[in-house]
Amino acid sequence: MIKKADIILLILIVAAGLIISFGPLAKKAGGTDVRVTLDGDTYGIYSLAEDRTITIEKDGHTNVIVIEDGTVHMESSTCKNQICVKHGKISLKGDSIVCLPNRVVVEIEGEGGEADVISG
Amino acid sequence: MSSQAKTPRNSDRRTRLLAISAMFAALALIFSYVEVLIPVPVPVPGIKLGLANLVIIIALYRMGFRYAFTINMVRIVAAGLLFSGVFGMIYSFAGGILSIIVMYLLYRTDKFSMVGVSMAGGVCHNLGQLLTACVLLENTGILSYFSVLLFSGLVSGILIGILAYVIEKRLPPFTE
Repeated sequence: MIKKADIILLILIVAAGLIISFGPLAKKAGGTDVRVTLDGDTYGIYSLAEDRTITIEKDGHTNVIVIEDGTVHMESSTCKNQICVKHGKISLKGDSIVCLPNRVVVEIEGEGGEADVISG
Repeated sequence: MSSQAKTPRNSDRRTRLLAISAMFAALALIFSYVEVLIPVPVPVPGIKLGLANLVIIIALYRMGFRYAFTINMVRIVAAGLLFSGVFGMIYSFAGGILSIIVMYLLYRTDKFSMVGVSMAGGVCHNLGQLLTACVLLENTGILSYFSVLLFSGLVSGILIGILAYVIEKRLPPFTE
């Protein structure tokens, strides 16, 4: 009833499954929301599915965050090092862009995920 | 071919196959419905037994690709209109078409048993649905979900394959 080719196919499928399970794809799930934190306080939570531009101005600093095609990137920042702008696009749950000089944090959150421990 | 079709014996055969196909489509539709009623012990959407595939595999072995494909399409359209809605229909089409093509190709190599064919069909069905979800939702993150669906498709495919093998042996010949 069961042929040799069946067993080979089974092994191949299981192997593929294991590779996917422990491969890079499985590490992070796609996020659903974007949380923007300013100075340690939540500035706003936005849906990752909706394209929009968020401009944050505080104490003469300006950060422009763009949500586009399910990814987020820092379009521009008035900070000196521009690390946040160079960070590029993020889209996976748990990813974040941090602009330390302007104290802006952009984080991706997903549904059903565990909340990070908030301390201090 | 066309001259053969006019002989009474051949048209009789075709009529029989037509009647059986219609019956199979109805049976597959009922299975699609019954499946919703069977609770799955895992709280993950998309995991199901694939009872309808039982009918499709037997159709593939007994009547060939064209009949099996048509029966599956009729089932998906009917089930879509009755139970799952148009969006569900899109997913079903993707999964159904991919799985039946893969099953047919494996069947044609003549190297696999029904269990192997069904196994591949189950996995491909889930793969097709997941890829469609990626396109429709424009989110590749859900691909991480594939490992779960791969194993569930594998297990249900094996179960359905064994069932199909047992049942197919006991069915009387469709045409004399």
